[in-house]
Amino acid sequence: MLIHRSKKDLIEFAEVEPIEAELLRQVSTLCNLTEDPKVEERLFSPPTDSSEVQFLDDWEEYIKPELRHLFVSARKLVEDDLAKLQGGNEKGGRLFVPLAHGDAWLNTLNQARLILATRYDFSEVELSSSDLPKSFSRRELVLLQINFYAAIQERIIDVLEVSSGEN
Amino acid sequence: MAETIVQPIIETELEIPWNVVVHNDPVNLMSYVTMVLQRVFDYSKQKAQEHMLEVHHEGRSIVWTGPREKAEFYVQQLHSYLLLATLEKAN
Repeated sequence: MLIHRSKKDLIEFAEVEPIEAELLRQVSTLCNLTEDPKVEERLFSPPTDSSEVQFLDDWEEYIKPELRHLFVSARKLVEDDLAKLQGGNEKGGRLFVPLAHGDAWLNTLNQARLILATRYDFSEVELSSSDLPKSFSRRELVLLQINFYAAIQERIIDVLEVSSGEN
Repeated sequence: MAETIVQPIIETELEIPWNVVVHNDPVNLMSYVTMVLQRVFDYSKQKAQEHMLEVHHEGRSIVWTGPREKAEFYVQQLHSYLLLATLEKAN
């Protein structure tokens, strides 16, 4: 898969392999499954220590719903973009994403990575390791998935950085 | 008779500077944290990277200090980017 800025303020995902397309489509599915209390705690971490009872109550009542809405909106945007993924020929799939959706993609990919990392309780050592998998356990495959999403994030950040430098 | 001066607690609280602290999270990419700090605080890339590296190496970095209300706003902004961020009273 290649990710680069295309003309007309678009991010182009080119030569998308079927397995990459499947992993991309899983992003929004993953993010919808947030009934895990550990995941909830990470996505909505406390903004201060527990002594600030009133502030925390206000945060829970007013800010947390806003954050949740933001995260859900980002996922929906990515889902809608992915619905346009054209694929199937020998050159692989192709997708054009408006540059303006870049932040939503970064947010949703980050959600997916955080959810997976929290759910499988990966350590910092595991997440930063560049070693090849020693087995094909589900855990090892999920780590590959997290790193796949990380690589896409890095590429989108590069594209957005170049684009902002032009403005 | 001596005068008693009463300073409202609220005023005193508002004058105390507050720190916005970003905490390390092994999932957030270094490039992502740098980008977020540039966006939220309008920092140069160099300054954002310095704070990012402090988070990475020290576990946390005080990225901004100032009035409470603004600190709350910045913490909310950082949470919207899924960074681990808190506010605390500055020493």
